[in-house]
Amino acid sequence: MQHALRFVDVVKTYGGKRALDGLTFDVPTGGITGFVGPNGAGKTTTFSVVSGFLTQDEGALEILGLPAFDPWKHRGRLGVLPQDAELSDRHTPLELLTHLARLQGMGGRDAAREASRVVDVVRLSERGSSRIASLSHGMRRRVAVASALLGSPELVLLDEPMAGLDPLQAKSLREALAELRGRQTLVVSSHNLDELERFCDHVVMIDQGRCLRQGPIGAVTGQQELVQWWLAGPPPLDALAAALPDHSFTFADGVLAQRAPSGADLDAASLVLMGALVSAGVAVRAVRRGKGLEHQFLEDAAR
Amino acid sequence: MSSLRDILLVGRFEVLRAVRTWRAMALFLLYGIAYGGASYLAVMILHALENQVAKQLMVATTTKPGALLDKLVESEMFAEIVVAATGNEALVEMVKDVPPLAIFGMWLGLLLIPFFAASSAAECIAIDMGNRALRFEALRTGRLEILLGRFVGQLALTGVATFLALGVVWSVGTLFMVGHTPFSLALWLLTLTSRAWWFSIPFAGLGVAASAITTSPAWARVMAIGATGASWIALGFARYFEGGDYGILADVMLQLLPQGWMRMLWEPGLGWLPAALVMVALGLAMAGVGHARFASRDL
Repeated sequence: MQHALRFVDVVKTYGGKRALDGLTFDVPTGGITGFVGPNGAGKTTTFSVVSGFLTQDEGALEILGLPAFDPWKHRGRLGVLPQDAELSDRHTPLELLTHLARLQGMGGRDAAREASRVVDVVRLSERGSSRIASLSHGMRRRVAVASALLGSPELVLLDEPMAGLDPLQAKSLREALAELRGRQTLVVSSHNLDELERFCDHVVMIDQGRCLRQGPIGAVTGQQELVQWWLAGPPPLDALAAALPDHSFTFADGVLAQRAPSGADLDAASLVLMGALVSAGVAVRAVRRGKGLEHQFLEDAAR
Repeated sequence: MSSLRDILLVGRFEVLRAVRTWRAMALFLLYGIAYGGASYLAVMILHALENQVAKQLMVATTTKPGALLDKLVESEMFAEIVVAATGNEALVEMVKDVPPLAIFGMWLGLLLIPFFAASSAAECIAIDMGNRALRFEALRTGRLEILLGRFVGQLALTGVATFLALGVVWSVGTLFMVGHTPFSLALWLLTLTSRAWWFSIPFAGLGVAASAITTSPAWARVMAIGATGASWIALGFARYFEGGDYGILADVMLQLLPQGWMRMLWEPGLGWLPAALVMVALGLAMAGVGHARFASRDL
């Protein structure tokens, strides 16, 4: 299966407002896909349609090769962290997760073992037997993430998994999820684009219920075409153009933008460029490949 | 098979959750207080009736409730009370062997349990739709299984509450009344009053249906209690028009209303079992009405 998830012209309307307005995108199998968009872009609606919580008005979707969500066919294959869904707080994480694992079809002992495993994955083992009511917001969020990982589903949708987590918790969760790369397909929505850029292999950008752009993160942010150099002084533009004639250079606000032709060897070019800068006595303060996800998103959203 | 397993899993979780919150405790307290208070009142009323019968028979009155029970149950006045309470004249002879408190327990159950069961069940789904906790289960099983699981859970809770209420009535009867042995009272309470649990099934179904229609637990409760009250009013109309100009309509209503089967629930032996099965069917039908909306709604 090439695509774990596919949306084709999906429309969902709430009271006359189109939350999804002909949304079309694919999520490739394997890897981690960032699902990016501002508030109200339709991210949570998209996840809810995939999960069967909402039914689309128009369009088609394909989830793990099957049309539309069916709990009997998808349970255990699709894991979802719903946004803002409260946990039954009178139970312990282990009790709740065991119950959910049993609903996925596991026997009692297997379910208990699986609950312990996912609690461990989200680094919450020491609080697995505490009442959920006694856990902090961040810990509850991790329990909810653990529920999405029960049974190692092929496709996992995480709606704002880092929301409300402190930096340490977010880092810990990010690392835990990164370990799943290659084994499961993860789709992660977040407002934190820098975080997604470091974490994801693929990105889908949406706004106002439509897909703005999608593709491998390097391609979307132009990592093969653009290098930005933060310099201490003006660069020798003529020397750079002579040294790298296929590349184009612009300099503004202390930033040198180097645009490379398709298929250029950027590593080799960087050595040439740095040599020219050193010869001109210009110090390099920072370097970044591509525009950055946030920059690209803002550019696309403004169109 | 998998569907039945999921229903039982959801039902079990519903019971566990209720037991750990104020909901189950409140339900049990409600039943206990209502049954305890009402049965104590019943003891006092029986005592007053006993003394009234004693005066009519010109025998000595008693200070101990139950001491003249045998004379009371033989009296015309008691027969009239039984007929008024059960609507079944054939029961007068049968109940002569039954402790009056057990009869009262069932009568009270038939009166109260519909409201308690409907009210309790009314929040079982609505509350989880409101806070979206339902989504965790909805990802893993069908909505019908969720609805029926919650229904089964509510029936289990009502069963426990009814059983505890029997214990309260038995305690009141044993502590404050003579004229029956604790064993016979317990036996008759189990035999008769437990039938009230069957009567709770359609009303629990009604509560579950209301709960599946709205995300507001308060509104679900208003709907469930309102519909339960309306069913009693409808019973009044059906009884009024029974055999009259609108007799056919009244007959249909009596078939569809759980209360229309109450008289059969009083039947001795196994005669009450058909009514119990009708209660199950009506309960499922009520829950089915809720499912019609729940199956396709956005969660």
